[in-house]
Amino acid sequence: MQPHISSLRNTLLSAALLLAAGACQKDFLDRTPLGDATADTFFASEEQAVYATNAVYQQLRQWDCVSLPYLGVTDILSDDADKGSTPNDAPFLIEMDNFTFDPTNTSMGSVWRGYYIAIARANLALQGIPDVDMDENLKKRLIGENKFLRAYAYFLLVQWFGEVPIITEILGGDEYYTQQRQPLQDVYAQIERDLLDALEALPEKSAYGSADLGRATKGAARGLLAKLAMLKKDYPKAEQYCLEIINSTQYSLLPKYSDNFLLTGENGAESVFEITAVALEPVDGVTGPGATPYNMVQGVRGIPNLGWGFNRPSDNLVSSYENGDPRREATVLYVGEVLPDGSGQVQDNPEIIGERYNQKAWVPSHPGLQDNGPGNIRVLRYADVLLLAAEALNENNNPTEALKYLNMVRKRARGTNNFILPDVTVTDKDQLRERIYKERRVELALEQHRWFDLLRWGRAASVMQAVGKNFVSGKHELLPIPQTEIDLTSGNMKQNPMY
Amino acid sequence: MKRKQLLVLYSLTAALLLSAGLQAQRRVSGRVTDRLDGSGIIGASVVEKGTSNGIITDLEGGYTLEVTSDTAVLVVTYTGYASVETPVGNRATVDIILGEDENLLDQVVVVGYGVQKKSDVTGAVGTVKGESIDYLPTPSVEQALQGKIAGVYVSPASGEPGAGAVVRIRGTGTLNNANPLYVIDGMIAYDANFVNPQDVESVEVLKDASAAAIYGSRGSNGVIIITTKKGKKRENAVISLSSYYGTQQITKEIDVLNAAEFGQAYNELVGQSYYPDPSTLGEGTNWQDEIFRSAPIGSIQLSADGGSDRYRYSISANYFNQSGVLQYSEFERATVRLNNDINLNKWLGVGTNLTFANTQRQNAATGAIGGAYRMPPVFTPTDSAGNFTDPTSPFGLAIGNPAADLYYRQDNYDKANRFFGSVYGDIKFLQNFTFRSNFGFDLNNSQFRNYLPLYDVSPSQVNIDDRLNTGVGNDRRWIWEQTLTYNKEWTNHRLTVLAGYTAEERTLENLGVVRTNFPGTNEELLYPTSANNDPTQMGSGGIIEEAIKSALGRVNYTLMDRYMLTATLRVDESSRFAEANRTGYFPSFGLGWLMTNEPFMQNNQLFERLKFRFSYGVLGNQNSIANQYYPSLGVIQSGLFAVFGPEESLNEGATLTNYSNPDLKWETSSQTDIGVEFGLFNNRLSGEIDWYNRFTYDIIAAVPIPDYVGSAGDPLVNTAEVRNTGWDIMLNWRQAGRFTWFVGGNFSPVKNEVVKLNDLRAEIFAAFLQGEAATHTVEGLPIGSFYGYKVAGVFQTAEEVATLPRLGNEGVGDLRFQDLNGDGVINTLDRTNIGSPIPTLTYGFNAGFEFAGLDFTADILGVSGNEVFNAKKTFRFAVYNWEQSSYDNRWTPDNPSNSVPRITNGGHNYRVSDYFVEDGSFIRLRSVMLGYTLPQSWTQRAKISRLRVYLSALNLWTNQQYSGYSPEFPNGANPFEAGLDFAGYPVTKSFQGGIDITF
Repeated sequence: MQPHISSLRNTLLSAALLLAAGACQKDFLDRTPLGDATADTFFASEEQAVYATNAVYQQLRQWDCVSLPYLGVTDILSDDADKGSTPNDAPFLIEMDNFTFDPTNTSMGSVWRGYYIAIARANLALQGIPDVDMDENLKKRLIGENKFLRAYAYFLLVQWFGEVPIITEILGGDEYYTQQRQPLQDVYAQIERDLLDALEALPEKSAYGSADLGRATKGAARGLLAKLAMLKKDYPKAEQYCLEIINSTQYSLLPKYSDNFLLTGENGAESVFEITAVALEPVDGVTGPGATPYNMVQGVRGIPNLGWGFNRPSDNLVSSYENGDPRREATVLYVGEVLPDGSGQVQDNPEIIGERYNQKAWVPSHPGLQDNGPGNIRVLRYADVLLLAAEALNENNNPTEALKYLNMVRKRARGTNNFILPDVTVTDKDQLRERIYKERRVELALEQHRWFDLLRWGRAASVMQAVGKNFVSGKHELLPIPQTEIDLTSGNMKQNPMY
Repeated sequence: MKRKQLLVLYSLTAALLLSAGLQAQRRVSGRVTDRLDGSGIIGASVVEKGTSNGIITDLEGGYTLEVTSDTAVLVVTYTGYASVETPVGNRATVDIILGEDENLLDQVVVVGYGVQKKSDVTGAVGTVKGESIDYLPTPSVEQALQGKIAGVYVSPASGEPGAGAVVRIRGTGTLNNANPLYVIDGMIAYDANFVNPQDVESVEVLKDASAAAIYGSRGSNGVIIITTKKGKKRENAVISLSSYYGTQQITKEIDVLNAAEFGQAYNELVGQSYYPDPSTLGEGTNWQDEIFRSAPIGSIQLSADGGSDRYRYSISANYFNQSGVLQYSEFERATVRLNNDINLNKWLGVGTNLTFANTQRQNAATGAIGGAYRMPPVFTPTDSAGNFTDPTSPFGLAIGNPAADLYYRQDNYDKANRFFGSVYGDIKFLQNFTFRSNFGFDLNNSQFRNYLPLYDVSPSQVNIDDRLNTGVGNDRRWIWEQTLTYNKEWTNHRLTVLAGYTAEERTLENLGVVRTNFPGTNEELLYPTSANNDPTQMGSGGIIEEAIKSALGRVNYTLMDRYMLTATLRVDESSRFAEANRTGYFPSFGLGWLMTNEPFMQNNQLFERLKFRFSYGVLGNQNSIANQYYPSLGVIQSGLFAVFGPEESLNEGATLTNYSNPDLKWETSSQTDIGVEFGLFNNRLSGEIDWYNRFTYDIIAAVPIPDYVGSAGDPLVNTAEVRNTGWDIMLNWRQAGRFTWFVGGNFSPVKNEVVKLNDLRAEIFAAFLQGEAATHTVEGLPIGSFYGYKVAGVFQTAEEVATLPRLGNEGVGDLRFQDLNGDGVINTLDRTNIGSPIPTLTYGFNAGFEFAGLDFTADILGVSGNEVFNAKKTFRFAVYNWEQSSYDNRWTPDNPSNSVPRITNGGHNYRVSDYFVEDGSFIRLRSVMLGYTLPQSWTQRAKISRLRVYLSALNLWTNQQYSGYSPEFPNGANPFEAGLDFAGYPVTKSFQGGIDITF
């Protein structure tokens, strides 16, 4: 028996050792995510180059970029709108409305984060796409789109915060905390470089296939270049880019002003650039894969229950329209007014004082909850370009041409009613400037342009103080850098003056 | 092996005693039984004190002895048990109960990949016997350890049914996952939630590097070894039934305003008489009463164990049910355990340790707790028709009716079947060698279900798509360990050498389904349907794989029973790291000196035992990245759709959203331990004192980065260094006899300090409240220290507002912050350190006695030196209710308080300041229990060898300064936010009655 037992023992011992050794092949420890691409395997195909670009567009309609914080640092900050909603909802927006905010107010933190995320996504795409083996025309276009989107994000940031860190590549771990704010001229130069590259690379709106309607175009790049030139008071350049858009024959004013803000007007003839959204059936119960919160936060609060009711058109805005200007009706949704699609009437909500809403952000009923907003955000309309052209031409001492474009806008607003909005005929430079400024306000009201225009015109202090706001000259022209950024860089980043 | 030694001892003692002459005058008989299970102890010696007159107990534990006088005292001893002395008096029957001696030198402790004599151990190991925890009505072993072991700080994760606990061994050693490793019957695990506390034989806590280094890359936070009950060699099987039932409540209510007070406060807030006569509002609704309840808790356990030389078994079945004090929460667990050890022949042994646990948990919407805290008392939960009321008007509340929240979210369940265990084979060869192959497995099949019905309570509490979200998870893990042990004893030397090789693999898979559009709301219709007819049904899933392989070795050497050396090395390779940083080496050594075995100590009368230890070693913490499986690789997120075209079609978008760090490497800690163990006065007083210095470096943690980087999440970095220094002090007095009593205490002062963060920056900010960091982690302070303004007082006059430094909007009656940098304005530069969430001292006391069948135990625990940030109080998105103290002491022109501001809503009174920092110290009567064991003479007729009934209470009394439910709250797992109370599920107190029967 003994030999038998010890041979069993030896067999068991050897078998166990062999099995143990065999269980651990060399690649036993090489594990990668299953079902997910990783940074080092991405950008392997044309599709992925497109995906990386699309992800930038997606970011631009997210909460941080276009919801309450965004409205807080645009319309609500300006004389166009009050906070709206019930008195106690979202105190941080009261601070924006009243200029009592400080660097901890979440408005600044959100838009800063939101647009820098968009910049990072564009940076990743711009780093990865050049090496993808793909159709060269498509590659060129995608690079152009990313440069345009990056420039758009920086253009907003520089207008809000002034000097900002310029980041054009994915940062390495040792660069996270060391970024500094860069001189204004360098930020402008970066934006201009990107836009010129985009202008060169992008097709005109009509040259896109129908399925790509909504992507950045040559026209959009020119539009931002014109705005940048206006900001720099480089009026000849601004005039040049505006006229290039006008002469490209890609765009025209819609016959009816209010059609711009209906779903049918999305990406219409007047649209130069929009941030796109769609309401599809939600998979998580609240928001679908194409949604934006832009509409919800401004929607009618009460009955019908369409949203939260922020960004209330101010008394000052309402009274700034010329008599009978139909644009007021198209911009302001009053209690008792029938909704644009006739689906109901706005009922009085006693919790809201002076109830009225931004009609341009109204959307008809759609799948999912209000969170699942389908409305495109109209970033750049042809009317905006025409008024910029008028402004630039007037500054360049060409009132005749300036009047032509100004009156195009008024004519369209007027429609068939010849008793209102007569053509402007004044040719005195200063007087005409005032007329153009006034026209810009009412034409573009509650489309988040007003604050930037006031800054650009150097009128933020006088206008805001005139409406009784606590605006401090030399301070409030720039928003404070979010406190988290100052904290996290241990003071490496300097705060704007007086905050 | 222990058994064998005992048998030898038994025979020797028996021979000795039998050879002694008997000079009997009076006959005493009785039975010696085990305190734990009431079974008879075979071979115990019963000796008349001061004589050589004695006898050995028989197979049933019985004895008969002739004693010389009525003043005789019986001394009963049995190896491994504390000896008992009892005067005979005029009794003819003297039954004696023996309990295991926790101070005994020859006690064997489990040290990982083997056992060691306690006297030979060079590391710091804390031990708790199952009998010290199995009476506690807690759902988990972790909770039951609270206050039991020096250096082991346990904070119940919450009072949620079935909850585990946050366990910190020797301080918080890392900025990330600081949980210890669990080893259950030799099988590595990352939690012990499925273990039935009543199955536990012992818990060993490996605290220092010498002890824990054998677990290398996972030992840095300490190791908790749980050993479940094993079969004992017995003539007859021992069958036991034990059960308890009780009820739980919240420990206290938070004092908030009633309706009349709220009305007054609201009038003050809006500066007008919104409520013309607030006093008519009366009490209103106490929302806490609307969501909390008394909830039952109970357990029933049936077990049996026994065995022979060749086969030993222990088997148990348990059902545990805990309802939650928050409505619609409940936990149920059924466990079955079977442990087998079989000697197939002289050289081959096999065995299994198998546990099956079936759990079901109903999750309540815990957001209702914060909701009830905030909801103004002027609303009622339901109207007269029984419908939930809409409390949003007129204050613009963004929170829903908490009662409706609980009700509509009640269909939320987690279920799991977990099969955990191991199979081993031992082969002995060449006399001194043992080869063991141990295959462990941990299979967890889980399922979740969450159905949200249609409801419309208010505009902010509405669900227009009823929706089912359900899915399954499958977590498979195996470890295969091969170890070879060489064990040899010479006259003056003892040597054990262990070498091993292990491999581990884990795969986690999950699949989920979301469905809306049901053909009705009947319960039987609320399931996923076959795929062909419902376009709203969407699937999701995921899979994660990981693997570790390791080599390990240990040498234990003991010279002349006085000098001990332990040296350990473990090498781990983990798939969580990139190839270049994959391997970690974790060495340690320990030295011991048992001074009482020195010849020059032989005549000492004081010390029964005096031993010194020293150890040093290096450990790793792989689990600091447990929740992020591929931290070195950036994962591309897909589904980021862009919308293009006249049809507004979705266009797939994908990008890198969370940045990664390819250079990530092992987080490492080194630990030095100096300890002394002693036993005095016949080992009645025993103690253990350790000093340690635990230094963690290359700490892996998700560190906040500036938003301009553009990463949605924070990347992991090897950034920081943390030091924990402290003392573990344990003292116990135990006196056995007719009146057995014990009293003990453990004290753990610890200093936690961040030594270094990194070269780029001095601070880590976290816990952002309304955009402002509430904690900072900075060199020289404890992790996650509170950070904010210091309150200087309250603005009393308009002149003060005009002249004193302020933030900007303050008015009379508002908080005035200190201008710390003296620049004349208050701004973010005036924030400073305002408290620490980490206790500087934790302690526990336990005491008890046994007398005439009665037994009494009480446990007390406490912490001090820490603060709590009352974060729930700072949330003011609308008009919420106020706390009583904020109201009673508020500033008004008539009550010019200089500490509590006027009634406001939002604004700078709610900025992060020390106004919200409260003392976190507390002392708590953790448990108190009174039991009675019926005399055997009564129960014997019913063939019951032991019957005990008891009453107990858990968390009966707490002395706390903190105004919230409890200074312990479910936010402790994240060290950066550990001290912030967000109104989570509060811990509870409970009362139970129970019965233990042994057949």
